[in-house]
Amino acid sequence: MSVKNIAIFGYNPMSFELIKCLDLKQHEVIVVDQDQESLITAADLGFTVIATDYRNDDNLEEVGIGRHIDVLFCFFEEDSNNLFLTISARAMDQKLEIISIVDDPESADKLLVAGANKIIDPYQICGRKIYQLIKNPDIADVLDHTIFGRHDLNTAEILIPPDSPLENTYASQLQLNSRYNLILIAIVDKELGKELHFTIGEQDHRLDAGDILIVLGPSRQIKAFKQEVEKQA
Amino acid sequence: MFTRLLIHLAYFLKSSSRYQNTKKFVFDLLENPGSRLKRHFDLFMILLVMMSVFLLIYEINNPPIPYSEWFENIVVVVFISEYILRGWLYSDNHKILIEHYERTQYLGIKFQLRKPLVKIFSSKLKYIFSPYAIIDLLAILPSYRPLRILRIFLVFRLFKLVRYSHSVKLFTEVLANKRFELLTLAMFIGFWLFISSTAIYMFENEPVGGQVRHLFDALYWSIVTMSTVGYGDITPQTPGGRIVALTLIIIGVGVLSFFTSIIVTAFTEKMEELRENRTFSEVENIDNFIIICGYGRVGQEVAKHMDKDQQPYVIIDNSEENFLLARRNNCLAIKNDASKNEVLLNAGINKGAKAVLCTTGNDVTNVYVTLTSRHLNRDIKIISRANRQENIKKLRQVGANFIVQPFEISGLLAAEYVGQPVASQAIFGIINEEKDILMETILVPENSDIENVKIKDIDFEKRRLILIGVISNKTIHCKRNNRYKVKNRQFYFNPADEFILQAKDILVLLGRKYSIDYFKDQIERSSLAIK
Repeated sequence: MSVKNIAIFGYNPMSFELIKCLDLKQHEVIVVDQDQESLITAADLGFTVIATDYRNDDNLEEVGIGRHIDVLFCFFEEDSNNLFLTISARAMDQKLEIISIVDDPESADKLLVAGANKIIDPYQICGRKIYQLIKNPDIADVLDHTIFGRHDLNTAEILIPPDSPLENTYASQLQLNSRYNLILIAIVDKELGKELHFTIGEQDHRLDAGDILIVLGPSRQIKAFKQEVEKQA
Repeated sequence: MFTRLLIHLAYFLKSSSRYQNTKKFVFDLLENPGSRLKRHFDLFMILLVMMSVFLLIYEINNPPIPYSEWFENIVVVVFISEYILRGWLYSDNHKILIEHYERTQYLGIKFQLRKPLVKIFSSKLKYIFSPYAIIDLLAILPSYRPLRILRIFLVFRLFKLVRYSHSVKLFTEVLANKRFELLTLAMFIGFWLFISSTAIYMFENEPVGGQVRHLFDALYWSIVTMSTVGYGDITPQTPGGRIVALTLIIIGVGVLSFFTSIIVTAFTEKMEELRENRTFSEVENIDNFIIICGYGRVGQEVAKHMDKDQQPYVIIDNSEENFLLARRNNCLAIKNDASKNEVLLNAGINKGAKAVLCTTGNDVTNVYVTLTSRHLNRDIKIISRANRQENIKKLRQVGANFIVQPFEISGLLAAEYVGQPVASQAIFGIINEEKDILMETILVPENSDIENVKIKDIDFEKRRLILIGVISNKTIHCKRNNRYKVKNRQFYFNPADEFILQAKDILVLLGRKYSIDYFKDQIERSSLAIK
């Protein structure tokens, strides 16, 4: 995985959780905020911090937007701030990955229009999770273990490189569950566009270079499978 | 000897379960505001009162109807027994007696029957002179035929309705609440009536040429004028009398508006309580509902899902804004502090609620509400939101079953997006149930087609489902690999082909909603089929 330069705007409990989940050895993370006090707490924890006013484009450039920053997180608590930052950043860099949180569900569409790549609604996710705990606690547990990767189980995406042995095989022939102890959940079939297809037996996909497999399984086996896919490439 | 016998009797009553049960039943019937029995009884009494009053009025000018006497007798018997039973409920004689007896025993003084008897007598006397009891008694009197004059008390039978109708009771309560203001007003009115009556009598008495014959006429005229009714049968003739009239009219308008405003404010103050009472009574009629404390963004989201699944719930929120929002969304809502015992009890934490959710954005509140709920109900499921990592432990300590951290999950998902944008899309898809794709559990029922069947023999692919794993606590699976502990059971990820399903195992499946539902139906049906 390539090193990514990540800028996180707004320091709060959520950005803290985010940084905790990010692999700091893999990525360069800087925290940007206007509030000196919260930055001091962040700096105490050993994060790289910059105090600047995001409303000024020059300041954003100083942080590195439009230059080396690959991913931008808009983690301000106010939707309007996130929206403004998204618009400014999108104007400066077309390829930048912008992920914003949203407070009011109405703002989600506006943020997408403004150029955000991904919207995260923490309250919506939390509400769903709580409801799941009431309706079906088993599923909540399993989700925690599998897709949230609380334990050894993880979801991972595997890109099929050119000249891989998997090329020109069919998804149904992979037999991932018996051979690698992995479960194939979804495929992005390049021939059918960028859309994600869940592999629930509705159609079989022929694998080509550039297709992406989404698998679920123990991390060791994911690694093994990845090596297998890339080895003979 | 007599004293001994009485004390013996008191102890006997105290220990007799039959006596206690009877008393409890009567209490439920007459006094317990929460019992269903009382509601039926009240309705019955209202009908009885109405019928008896109509009958009595009818008989004033008409010949008696056959059986009417018979009916009247029944009514009176019911009234009298109600009166006596209420008196019986009012205080526990045996308790007073025992308490007194035990105290004297403890202090080593000679037990005297006089004191407790006086106490018993005074408590019963207190009952007799309580307003409701007086009304009850007066309602019985009109049927005493020899004293026809008592017919006037017929009106009191109608007063009896106050007892049985909640809304009328509420009105009297509102008035009682404004005792002080009303008393002030009454004194003010009395003062002016006194002045104006004497003044009009002085200016308008008959010798002077006016129409006011005596002081009663003067009072009658004053009240008629002050209330702005003004019949006009007595009119002031002298300039002095007219000035009195003018002043009185102006004061009358002021008094009326003052009176109206008192009543209106009393009702608006009571309104909140009224609405709450309505919510409480609505909550009482549902079962298996969920209490949501905090109708912020998370609470709203949860409520939305519950609406979709028609899961009943009640919201408690202390902020006016959220409360009004909940009202607008047609939710049952209580505007109050959820950390108060009384509020949670009224919301039905011990009466049919199956879970409490603490979804406020404030961890302090969440901890407090969790603690209160756990204290009130040991077995209820409590799910709490924790906004800060360090509070998870505290929430566990005070008894939360599940803890959800909105920021943690979001942080996790955001981080996932950086490393694996496509995989994170799949995750989002599953947790948001996009395109109808969801993860669902199916219980293996006993005697069904899939019990004791190998995994490979169930063609999940043909059913358009992905088997993620099996949750089970059966020891038979213990030797399998890919075991993950989930609570007190095991989750077997990607079970091998030879994995044999047992009854009560839980399949974890991924697929479209309808394929899952269809599969579920098939299994259920197979378990019910006779083999």
